[in-house]
Amino acid sequence: MSVVEGALIYSNLLTLLALGLTLTYMTTAVPNFAQGSFAVFGSYVALTLWKIWGIHPYQSLPIAFVLGGLLGAGTYLIVLKPLIKRGANVVTLMIATLALDLILLGFRGIYAGILGSIIRQPCEMFMFTYLVKYVFGVPDILLVSFSVIVLTLVGLFLLLYKTKFGIALRASVENPMLSEIMGVDVEKTRLFSWFLSGALASMAGVLLPFKQEIVPATAELIIVSIFAASIVGGLSSIVGAILGGYIVGTSESLVTYILSVLTNNAGLLVYGKVVSLVIIVITLLVAPSGLAGINWRKVIRWRSGR
Amino acid sequence: MEVWSLILNILLWFGLYVIVSLSLNVEYGYCGIPNFGKALSVIIGAVVVGGIVTRILMAIMGVQGDLVSGSSVVSGKINAVVQSDPVYGIALFVLCLVLAVIIGTIVGALFILPSARLREDYLAITLLAIAETFTMVCYYNPVIVGSYYGVSVPDVFAFVPSSMRYPFIVGVVLSLALLVYILLNRIVNTPYGRLLKAVRENEDVMKAYGRNVMTVRIKTMALGSGIASIAGVLLTFYTLRVQPDSFLNYGRTFWTFFPFLIILLGGAGNNRGVVLGSFIFATLWELVDFYKSNIVSALHLPVEAVWLEYILFGVLMLLILFYKPEGLIKEKPIMTEPIKRKAKKLKS
Repeated sequence: MSVVEGALIYSNLLTLLALGLTLTYMTTAVPNFAQGSFAVFGSYVALTLWKIWGIHPYQSLPIAFVLGGLLGAGTYLIVLKPLIKRGANVVTLMIATLALDLILLGFRGIYAGILGSIIRQPCEMFMFTYLVKYVFGVPDILLVSFSVIVLTLVGLFLLLYKTKFGIALRASVENPMLSEIMGVDVEKTRLFSWFLSGALASMAGVLLPFKQEIVPATAELIIVSIFAASIVGGLSSIVGAILGGYIVGTSESLVTYILSVLTNNAGLLVYGKVVSLVIIVITLLVAPSGLAGINWRKVIRWRSGR
Repeated sequence: MEVWSLILNILLWFGLYVIVSLSLNVEYGYCGIPNFGKALSVIIGAVVVGGIVTRILMAIMGVQGDLVSGSSVVSGKINAVVQSDPVYGIALFVLCLVLAVIIGTIVGALFILPSARLREDYLAITLLAIAETFTMVCYYNPVIVGSYYGVSVPDVFAFVPSSMRYPFIVGVVLSLALLVYILLNRIVNTPYGRLLKAVRENEDVMKAYGRNVMTVRIKTMALGSGIASIAGVLLTFYTLRVQPDSFLNYGRTFWTFFPFLIILLGGAGNNRGVVLGSFIFATLWELVDFYKSNIVSALHLPVEAVWLEYILFGVLMLLILFYKPEGLIKEKPIMTEPIKRKAKKLKS
């Protein structure tokens, strides 16, 4: 797997995760700190299916989609909806997702122990890189991750712009109160966004072990990249999340790679998250509302000196 | 004997959590900054001892070599010195505390700069991202505190006989916690403390009154981080090691999540509630720890108790948010002298 291929795979997965985070932020206005755990949930679904029933991780994508979606929807129904009903503010909701992240970490630890005792090998850390096959010299994970993202985007586009439900969803994001008056069930759109967010994160999680090792701290580290991607995109724009995913994903891998070649120090390769952090800080200082919030016409006019 | 060590454990964690949670209470409870990167300031305290003070000692004692091997050599030498003369140990301890508070204060102020003027959700995300990234860099970079191998730290309390060492440390922790409590209670009962609550309640009104919300937030984070780094120093001298992999695995849970749990349990925006919350939390944690082998064997599962504790305390947090978001001790209205007089007048 070359550096560029690795960067593209990572960007595809990060885009899926950032899309999910952005969707739920748009509908419920809470940044989900458990998004990383949603992803690792998918990784464990894939590991279980592969080790116990021999189902290849690529084939487990639909199952992970459904299970991850249920996790996302369950999060909304059990944790967030009751809190929103009680009039909780955004900090309370954020703390609730943080608590959920810890609960999922606990369940993950227990599950890894149980699964490990069933298949008689440790499950705290694992990778699927040995499953990667090459098709015409290209690793198949690259093709699969691209197909997943293309399918997701096409599906999302059709849903948002070609169906009545999509119009209702976009309306409830624009103006929840007004769309409720117009008869849109805002609860339903929120629930759906959480389902989709969990499902996308879980699919990303299935493919993540092809690129990097899953360790107990994976979930809390990858959240930095997810937030970076969403913040670059403006935190509440779907197009922004896609752009942000690719910008952060490729720069994490490529900037560290270029620096390590220039300084002849391979140790720099592990500092991808520092690049993400720098991107967050630059975005917040220069354009806090992200790529989607910049008035591009003004920028172009300013650039051309008029 | 077992009960005695259980009590000491509870008191130790009670003291450490009082320090960290009180500092978080100033930031979150009073000023409304959701500092999801609280762990950073505790880690800074540990890094100051393991990464800076150890290096200074190595230079003074003329120990050659890298930090990982050099730190254990220098710790041995310093321990011998401290055993013969307690003054050196106490001086070193005080030096570490002062240095950690200074660096913690600076880091706290820098820490919030990128997001100081933004909304709460951006604040929380950025603070968490900075803390996680720093933790990760500590883990990967051997120059800071020895990466995977960690760093040994001299025992500044080596002059205490080993049977009395643990109770002595607990005493030190508790007295510093008391000091922090008194200091912070003083600070939040000044006009500055009332300004914090005003910023929390309504930023825009405070801007209209000519207050700079950004400066208030920076000052508060500096204060909170400086104090929380004391806990990092104390923890380091208790374990006598600095282990970056434990930052990575436990940092966020132990020093960000649990302090938030304590504050919400006891009651945000009031220091007595936070002390009560710390005590309840430390007691619960240690009791679960004490009986964990019984609990695990009762479940008949290959389970480590720490995972159960995570689930238990995560669920506890959700229950508090659902049913008692104001905490056990509710925040009271501020009674300044003029308001008290007015209240008296109204009564009569």
